[in-house]
Amino acid sequence: MSNRLRYIRQSLTAAALAAALATPALLSAPSVAVAQERGGTMNIIVQPEPPLLVLGLNQQGPTQTVAGKIYQGLLTYDFNLKPQPELAESWEVSPDGKVYTFKLVKNAKWHDGKPFTAADVVFSTSKMLMETHPRARAVFAKCEKIEALDDYTVRFTLKEPFGPFLQSFEVSSAPIMPKHIYDGSDYKANPANATPIGTGPFKFKEWVKGSYIHLVRNDEYWKAGKPYLDDIYFRVIPDAASRSVAVEQGTVQQTQFNDIETFDVPRLKQLPNVEMTTKGYEFFAPLSWIEINTRNKPLDDKRFRQAMMHAIDRKFIRDKIWFGLGRPATGPVNSVTRFYEPGVKKYDFDPKKAEALLEEAGYKKGSDGTRAKVKLLVMPYGETWTRLGEYIKQAMKRVGVDVTLETTDSAGWVNRVSNWDYDLTFNFVYQYGDPALGVSRTYVSDNIRKGVMFSNTMGYANPEVDRLFAQAAQTNKDEERQQLYSAAQKILVEDVPVAWLLEMEFPTFVDKRFKNAITTAIGVNESYDSVYMVKK
Amino acid sequence: MTAAVITPSRRGSGFWRAFARNKGAVLGLAFLLLIVLMAIFADVLFPTSPWDMTAAPFEPPFSEDALLGSDTLGRDIAAGIAHGARVSLLIGLTSTAVAVLIGVCLGAVSGFYGGWVDDAVMRFTELFQTIPNFVLAVVLVAIFTPSLTSIVLAIAIVSWPPLARLARGEFMSLRSREFVQAAVTTGQSNLTIIWRQILPNSLSPIIVSASLMVATAILLESSLSFLGLGDPNLMSWGYMVGAARTVIRQAWWMSFFPGIAILLTVLALNLVGEGLNDALNPKLARKGRA
Amino acid sequence: MPRIAVFISQRLVKAVFVVLAIAVFNFFLVHAAPGDPAAVMAGEAGAADAKFVEQLRQQFGLDRPLYEQLGTYMGKVVQADLGYSYRQQRPVFDLLMDRLPVTLSLTLTSFVLALIGGVALGTLAAMRAGTWSDTAITVVGLTAYATPIFWIGLMLILLFSVNLGWLPAFGTESIGAGYTGWAALMDRVEHLVLPVVTLGLFYMAVYTRLTRASILEVRDMDFVKTARAKGLPEWRIVSVHILRNAILPVITVAGFQAGHLIGGSILIETVFALPGIGRLAFEAVLQRDYQVLLGIFLLTSVVVVIFNLLTDLIYSLVDPRIEVAP
Repeated sequence: MSNRLRYIRQSLTAAALAAALATPALLSAPSVAVAQERGGTMNIIVQPEPPLLVLGLNQQGPTQTVAGKIYQGLLTYDFNLKPQPELAESWEVSPDGKVYTFKLVKNAKWHDGKPFTAADVVFSTSKMLMETHPRARAVFAKCEKIEALDDYTVRFTLKEPFGPFLQSFEVSSAPIMPKHIYDGSDYKANPANATPIGTGPFKFKEWVKGSYIHLVRNDEYWKAGKPYLDDIYFRVIPDAASRSVAVEQGTVQQTQFNDIETFDVPRLKQLPNVEMTTKGYEFFAPLSWIEINTRNKPLDDKRFRQAMMHAIDRKFIRDKIWFGLGRPATGPVNSVTRFYEPGVKKYDFDPKKAEALLEEAGYKKGSDGTRAKVKLLVMPYGETWTRLGEYIKQAMKRVGVDVTLETTDSAGWVNRVSNWDYDLTFNFVYQYGDPALGVSRTYVSDNIRKGVMFSNTMGYANPEVDRLFAQAAQTNKDEERQQLYSAAQKILVEDVPVAWLLEMEFPTFVDKRFKNAITTAIGVNESYDSVYMVKK
Repeated sequence: MTAAVITPSRRGSGFWRAFARNKGAVLGLAFLLLIVLMAIFADVLFPTSPWDMTAAPFEPPFSEDALLGSDTLGRDIAAGIAHGARVSLLIGLTSTAVAVLIGVCLGAVSGFYGGWVDDAVMRFTELFQTIPNFVLAVVLVAIFTPSLTSIVLAIAIVSWPPLARLARGEFMSLRSREFVQAAVTTGQSNLTIIWRQILPNSLSPIIVSASLMVATAILLESSLSFLGLGDPNLMSWGYMVGAARTVIRQAWWMSFFPGIAILLTVLALNLVGEGLNDALNPKLARKGRA
Repeated sequence: MPRIAVFISQRLVKAVFVVLAIAVFNFFLVHAAPGDPAAVMAGEAGAADAKFVEQLRQQFGLDRPLYEQLGTYMGKVVQADLGYSYRQQRPVFDLLMDRLPVTLSLTLTSFVLALIGGVALGTLAAMRAGTWSDTAITVVGLTAYATPIFWIGLMLILLFSVNLGWLPAFGTESIGAGYTGWAALMDRVEHLVLPVVTLGLFYMAVYTRLTRASILEVRDMDFVKTARAKGLPEWRIVSVHILRNAILPVITVAGFQAGHLIGGSILIETVFALPGIGRLAFEAVLQRDYQVLLGIFLLTSVVVVIFNLLTDLIYSLVDPRIEVAP
């Protein structure tokens, strides 16, 4: 331990020396230290490097984190997923739940100086995103018309009520794109894609591929006095070990999502210079499970699937494989998201009960002690999942089920799972703030679509579940929706179409000098216009 | 006609004397036997599966229920090493056998027939030698998904070219010898000549090369497993090192002991290979070149 | 001289054919794989509907017949255009060029150090054959030859980074440290020490063995005896007469293996988290990035071909007696 510290100290001294010799900037910058005062540079890890920063065209995780500072949505959401104003300062919903009217902020400007108006919103939601953003397409296709009532008022008229409509306006779900740049162009080939133009608090400055993305303060930002920071650098560090070292040495001030491998989390938590939080992922609320191909024997038997739930110790998985991150999942809805139902059937870790269920289902022990054989296709998303596969194999062996592990790369995995060529696999998906957006897609039977990933690849079909989900999406009365979703959750937990494992948590490490980083349910994808640095 | 083939009994005793003169080889052989025994009796030594979580995670060596410590999930490192010996030896031997089969067949055809056949085969061999072999092995295993078969085949496919060249050389030189010419004039078929006359006489260098190739194959297998391209159902030494890589700061023993196992096995095989070289190829032995 | 020119041009023509054959081979190999990169990308974008996958497939030309894709690819290869990685939204050539400096600085430094060290140790061992220093060198060489390089790398990290804290374990530079000039250079050198030593040890063992064996063979030849009889100083005999002749097989093998160092660098770059070609290759395999894989294969083959050519050339220069066989 002391040796490691010594190394860090050496590096730090060397760094300080080099900085002092090379730049007199330290001396010349006058620091008037008042709370929430301007100034400061933040280095944030971005991993993997985003392919491009135009959020309307690419919605991969890293793109969201960087472009969330450049582009903005109409709304954002607090930790309880209640809508909060962003580019829309207020909004109204008609009593029948079909008409949504948004009043926009009046002083916002694009980074090239053009004013932001309702025309941009109409263009983005009715034209551009419909072509380039699959998740937005699914939502805005439900609109009969989208129109600008005046320069600062937009009205969405739905064909029928859609419960989660208001949950679909944060920056990555519906980023507002500049009409004057994209309208009438080939979006993907637009030369302006190299220099993204948004309304957000930070402007694109420079991108050295493979190294960093540099954003600078937008002096014309529409919120007076904000943002506080001068620059944000997004540093590309492809290797997990180097990312941990960068946090230890203080050369980066923030990491998020999977940047830090789970096994490094306990160690980094002890560092004096950073703080760890698992808040700020409520909108995504990832849930992991063992995906079960219910077409194959013996997995078509409900009792077999229930036995799996009893055979697996989810606490062990959380403590020993995820090093304490996450919560054992109780059902299809993550407890931090909306319409969670706690009153469902409980599956305790109980191998005896599992064996009893298997006996009952007719899977007797053979001469070698084996009741059944299944294959588990391990998800190729890093070593943690490999460890999980090894654990599941052993846990199932204890109750007499022989699990053969298969590995593949990500292309092979997507290919096999989406074409139903598997017995068991792992999966985790985001819930996007509402069961109608992120939960029902996994379980409803009209989403059994061969060749499509993250659909109902299990082949689970239950007309009652279909009905409940459909009905719940078509109303915007929360009480009614809660009842319908509760009923659906109870059926699903009884049926076990997938074996839920963990409500996953991601660690966000933030340097203690930086305040206000994680304030909403979209956490690190937030605009960071209120983040400030405390100077000593 | 048979004069060219040394009779087995004489060859046997002379062989052992020559082999035993190399002390390193004897030491290597002894150690190799130990590993083979460990592989055979792995189930007796460690009756539970090496994947079973038999101890608390992160137990250091010499703790009560794990002699060499336990890994991140509480699996016994010692059990893993014993069971891993099977995988290493199995893959090392079978992939070498396949490589010998490919290499000797191609080399024999090439050297025996000469001419355009030789040209074609040699161009083909060059092609395979030009691609960096480890890159090719990684690609093959990744594409055909990691399993015992794909790993064995991948290692064989990247290992055969030197054997083909060796066999070609032997066949070329033997082909012009009198006893082969005699066989040709007596009207024996080409296949019979290759099989009965030339092959037995070119076996020594092939055996030496093959024994050294087993060592290389074990190294290749461990490298693939280290990168996560091993058979996920088989405990192997390379896998153990690879899985422990990320916790090296906290738990040195998880990667240390399996690495030592690889090192000693490969070393033993190399020593045995050299001993074989001394014993079988007295001419080549001076050069000390594989 | 013209003979050498003829020889070299013949080798060049042959090399071009080898590279082209490898390109075709690689193309089919990578396309034999199951899985569709469009489906993966669509999946990672959050939601994958059939339309989106189809768009991606068209964008990459994955909907064309295989021979057409091959034709397009070969046509571009001839123009040194290695295609475009849609995964990374960058031309493959640029990706490779970005990563090449790291891999080259790693492999070339290791190669040169291993060659120098190997020849020196091998000579020492051979000249003192039978003494304890010969035995020591042989034993150490055998051990290094038998050790998996990824494991040596880990053990060196354990010793020099974790326990002693002398050298950095990962990456090519201290991230965001803002070093300039000399400090930046030293920082990079510090980061290279462990990877270079790890990769170099194995090859040093190979060259040591070769040099020793080769010298033992040459040592007793007539021309050496003549030189001794003339009373030349021992260092002259060793350096001019013995080494010059003994080094030939070492050069052959070394030139042959230099290209293969790139294979070894996959492991080294993984252990030490270096952003080089080897690591790019591994990532590309796992992400099934067709274009990048094809590019890496071609690049590594070209490197090997170039090294083989250089080897032939050096061989003919070092020993003018050697006839250059067509």
